[in-house]
Amino acid sequence: MGKLYKFLKYSFITIWTVFVVAPFLWALTTSFKDFNSVNGGATYIPWVDFEPKLEGWKVLIKSPANGGVDIIEPYFNSLFVTCTASLISIVLGTLSAYALSRFTFKAGFVKNNDITFFFISQRIMPPIVLSIPFFLFLGAIDLLDSLIGLIVVYIVLLMPIAVWIMVDFFNKVPREIDETALIDGCNPYQAFFKVVLPNSVPGLIVAGMFCIIFGWIDFFFAFILTFTEVQLLPVKIVALNSSITPWWSLSASALVSVAPLIIVAFIVERYLSKGNLSGAIK
Amino acid sequence: MSKIDLNNISHSYNSNDPNPIYALNPFSMTWQDGKRYAILGPSGCGKTTMLNIVSGLVRPTAGNILFDDKDVTDLKTESRNIAQVFQFPVIYNTMTVYENLAFPLKCRDFSQNKIDERVKSVADTLNLQSFLNSPARKLTADQKQLISLGRGLVREDVAAVLMDEPLTVIDPDLKFRLRRKLKEINEEFKTTLVYVTHDQNEAMTFADNIIVMSEGEVVQAGSPKELFERPNTTFVGYFIGSPAMNLFDSEIISSNEVNIGSIKIKTNTDLSKVKNKHVKLGIRSEFIDIADKESHNTVKVKINRIEDFGNFKLLTSTLENKIIKSKIDREKPISENEVNLYIPPEKCCVYVDEKLI
Repeated sequence: MGKLYKFLKYSFITIWTVFVVAPFLWALTTSFKDFNSVNGGATYIPWVDFEPKLEGWKVLIKSPANGGVDIIEPYFNSLFVTCTASLISIVLGTLSAYALSRFTFKAGFVKNNDITFFFISQRIMPPIVLSIPFFLFLGAIDLLDSLIGLIVVYIVLLMPIAVWIMVDFFNKVPREIDETALIDGCNPYQAFFKVVLPNSVPGLIVAGMFCIIFGWIDFFFAFILTFTEVQLLPVKIVALNSSITPWWSLSASALVSVAPLIIVAFIVERYLSKGNLSGAIK
Repeated sequence: MSKIDLNNISHSYNSNDPNPIYALNPFSMTWQDGKRYAILGPSGCGKTTMLNIVSGLVRPTAGNILFDDKDVTDLKTESRNIAQVFQFPVIYNTMTVYENLAFPLKCRDFSQNKIDERVKSVADTLNLQSFLNSPARKLTADQKQLISLGRGLVREDVAAVLMDEPLTVIDPDLKFRLRRKLKEINEEFKTTLVYVTHDQNEAMTFADNIIVMSEGEVVQAGSPKELFERPNTTFVGYFIGSPAMNLFDSEIISSNEVNIGSIKIKTNTDLSKVKNKHVKLGIRSEFIDIADKESHNTVKVKINRIEDFGNFKLLTSTLENKIIKSKIDREKPISENEVNLYIPPEKCCVYVDEKLI
């Protein structure tokens, strides 16, 4: 029984690993091929199966004038927009989540849960519903095709995630922690910053991870709200495509665009597996 | 350290409702400086609400609180200078044991030297010296509770240390030692200690004064002896003491005699002014003794069982279809089926509508 279980477990993990890693291997080898190697049938091993070329990578850093696409600027635009919007969302989201978790609000029939639901409902809506309002809104305040405009839109998209995760997290942090801090002589702000917040680092990291992922992979709003002045990475990568599909440069750009998320995954994994999510009260 | 006055305090958690339910009915009380108090009562009787009102976590619906004759009802928790220890350990996970203990002093801007001195002293008292530099979250549950307790005791100038069943998670042996330690701390530093518990033994051994509560009501406040010998209500009689007080439905027949069924019992209580003829007679099992022969105030009972507790024998017998329990000296011979029990008149308590007269 034990052996069979172990066998099945490791078989499953192996199959799953191949399933997840294979596309990356495919992209990695393809990014070093040229037109002939790509169209010459399935080949995997460089120098044996095919002669590796740097064409696919070079195109990404050449300016369009020299026949390249230059994804460096869009790359940093994407990083800037994602990080700024995530940071602002986390700060605002955490503060509102704490308020929603600890204080009682009532305005007519609207109570804490309704406010929390209002935030989440922003994500339930299909994003396309928001496209025209956002377009008109950004147009009206002259922020179309600008980084600031995108940051504003992304905050709207990311803050609900932060609120949702953090409300849940704060609800699990026992109230006694805050109360003890008050008794020990903190005012409510000190109690939050000195005691509750340091205890909430795992929650903040999870919320931050989701914000970064959803911000980084957004194509839709970047596509409809920017044109020529500002471009984000996902839009630029799609623009790489042409009548002859450049598999090599698409693969290379796919790899560089996934890289930040892989780094985030490695950082977050340590916090998730540490068991740090357990409460302060036992 | 200060005297704490509670004036007409009451609290309801839904005071805006047209029919609010009161978790705490109006009561007044004074807690003297430097004494030990125990608040005793079953779960949900308002003990914790009372503590939270004193510490300022809950604002009472009515009434006011005075610390040394200064009204603090509207003062926030952090300005009240009170320490509170909760039932389950509350520690600051991200800090070391030292930082945990130092936190209340740091928040109040004590000098580093003073902080060092106090933390060391409290750690000594609670045997936490060897853990001072380890992360607090790595300790066991009872060590964590010691930290909570330590944070409560680290300030010398607190008005009172409020403890909400603080020893629940601690094993019995350590519990016993800690309780004695708390008593010593109180005697040495004259810190007012208020201790909430549902365990009567804990309350009796710990406190100078016990406040018994039931369903949001302060039923009786007094020394352990008063509570034991003259319980104010049948509830206190039932709740305090093990086994509970013997209570019998009875009828007044003269100014100092009642009938339990057909058996006449004399009491020292003046019954001439009682209008209601139906009363309850209460007698502690500790005060009942075996009589050699029938005389006044003895009752003949049928023995159901005898349990030997080592230091005494618990005799359970039947009197007029009612169970009567008595604690008997273990050396005393007890006859087989029937026995005469002596009920001392001075120890009898008579209750009308569940209240002592």
